[in-house]
Amino acid sequence: MTNLELSRVAPESALHESALIAGNGRLDLPVEIDPKPLGALLRPALYALEALAFPLALLGLWTLSSRLGWLPAQILPAPDQVAATLAELAGNGDLWFHTSISLLRVVQGFALGGTLGLLLGIAMGLSPRVRRSVEPLFTALAQVPPLGWIPVLMLLVGIDEGLKLLIIAKAALIPVALNTHKGIRNVPDSLREVGAVLAFDRWATLTRIVLPAAVPSIFTGVRYGLTSAWLALVAVELLASSEGLGYLMVWGRQLFQLDMVIAAMLVVGLVGFALDWTLSRVERRLQRWELAGS
Amino acid sequence: MKPFAKRISRTVMAAAAVLTVVTAAGSAFAEPVTIRFGFAQVGVGNRQFGSGNTAALLHSRDILAEEFRNAPDVTLDWSFFKGAGPAVNEAIANGQLDFALQGDLPSLVGRSNGLKTRILAASGLRSNLYLAVAPKSGIRSIADLKGRKVAQFRGTNLQLATDKLLAAHGLTERDIKFINMDFATATAALATGDIDAAFGQADYLALDAQGVAKVVYSTRGDDPAFTRHSHLLVTEAFEQAHPDVTYRVVKALVKAAAWASDEANREAVFAEWAKSGIPAETFRADFDGQALGYRNSPLIDDFLIAAYRDQAERAKGYRLVRGDVRIDGWFEPAYVDRAVAELGLAGTWKRYDAKGHQQTAAQ
Repeated sequence: MTNLELSRVAPESALHESALIAGNGRLDLPVEIDPKPLGALLRPALYALEALAFPLALLGLWTLSSRLGWLPAQILPAPDQVAATLAELAGNGDLWFHTSISLLRVVQGFALGGTLGLLLGIAMGLSPRVRRSVEPLFTALAQVPPLGWIPVLMLLVGIDEGLKLLIIAKAALIPVALNTHKGIRNVPDSLREVGAVLAFDRWATLTRIVLPAAVPSIFTGVRYGLTSAWLALVAVELLASSEGLGYLMVWGRQLFQLDMVIAAMLVVGLVGFALDWTLSRVERRLQRWELAGS
Repeated sequence: MKPFAKRISRTVMAAAAVLTVVTAAGSAFAEPVTIRFGFAQVGVGNRQFGSGNTAALLHSRDILAEEFRNAPDVTLDWSFFKGAGPAVNEAIANGQLDFALQGDLPSLVGRSNGLKTRILAASGLRSNLYLAVAPKSGIRSIADLKGRKVAQFRGTNLQLATDKLLAAHGLTERDIKFINMDFATATAALATGDIDAAFGQADYLALDAQGVAKVVYSTRGDDPAFTRHSHLLVTEAFEQAHPDVTYRVVKALVKAAAWASDEANREAVFAEWAKSGIPAETFRADFDGQALGYRNSPLIDDFLIAAYRDQAERAKGYRLVRGDVRIDGWFEPAYVDRAVAELGLAGTWKRYDAKGHQQTAAQ
């Protein structure tokens, strides 16, 4: 028991201990051992099919709609036209140019907002005084959506990169801070007691007990922070910008090229999906480690 | 979440109601006609008035209402679009408009995307383009715009005029950081200094007078090729269904144009347009040194068609439209010519050839 409890304290030792127990260094859960190997092999393919069925049905409906002219072609262009536009944008480099600018903005805004959110979340999680004085206001401000900040921020910082950076940072800050706070507060008392038994000082308690135990929750915050940063980005780019994916949508709308708008939407969706998917993989890893450890 | 769901259900119900009405109207025998007229403009502070063109007078002076006074089955419905030409295109695509006052570029864009329209008459020719700059920007000429943050109402006929102007100065849109803003937003952004400059219309003269911005360039006195045109168009569907109503709308426009081309009415025309909230002195300055008829002619002459052909070519070059826009078969001068003859207005306006030279009387 002590071994297992302790194994939650720090990742390296956790791996080490569990490996000893499992005997083969693998951390697989029993769930993955299937009595029917063929079914297990087919299952991922089946899941993929299930995941694709709905989008494919939508695509079919879209194709049908444009063939039968349910909606004017100017409002909902045919899928092949959108695909052609996407190919053209990719071919002439515009797509990469605008996507890279959007990604850069998100990285910058997220770095700022994520760092601040992490610090704020740790402070709120560790210090009851900070929590009491900051949490109510923080919760209230968190209710104001990114777009609600734009009018005030525009007056303060103008419509340049500063505005985009702040809106994206704000969008990222809130989930990171909330989840960090929650993660730290939810560290079981038993773990803290272990620290007390081992006579850890505050720093050691924080770095060896509290933070490692809170990692999965913090990471959930990072994941949601990045997703909401990406959402906020497109919103601010729609407003005032001369490049980026949101700008591409504005251009398409103004020049009545709805295929370009839809192409940009697809890219926004795919990039957002890729970001979220990657992070969810990492997150699952972290949670599995937590699960395996407990 | 809830209000959104409510709104959706309300929209669905409204759509259902409209559908019922439309079906009912379709099955009625002698159906009443609603003329749905859209303007690619709106007055200051959302005033429901147009300005700077003859179509605005159809509405503000009740000229169209007068034309259909004894036709109780004809209803007029006016809309003014803050989103200008691009918004008018969306409304046409959605089947919400029959007639529109729209500028050259948005109509070309609409046609290149398959909107079925016909151009019936000119309404607002050779409109000027103005460049207003923030007083502290230090911009004094077109060349100074390089790398600066400039507002532009994308998709309107100002964009094409701007691109032509830039090309004449060896610049392209890529040399400038253009930000899409409608006219009201750009005016506010100029005042707060959020942008360095803005391309816009004559109303920037008022900003200049107030000291909010400085007008450093206008197409007045420059090459007329940099100016913009607008026109009255009808959807093909409406024209085919109601050629008689279409003719009467054009006839009313020709009457409005005749009134607005009479130098005796010069101040009255500007006062009429001032209902939009743009001061009369703005129009006075904008029209200074030009005959009213030069800008308010309704005629579809060789000059107009050639001008649109050229705009289409350039719009393609600047990648504002994809592919060629077919100009042939788009203009329908029959209505306007008939109205001019019927109203005894022959000779009121000069005809210009494709090169912009006045055609001889023989024409």
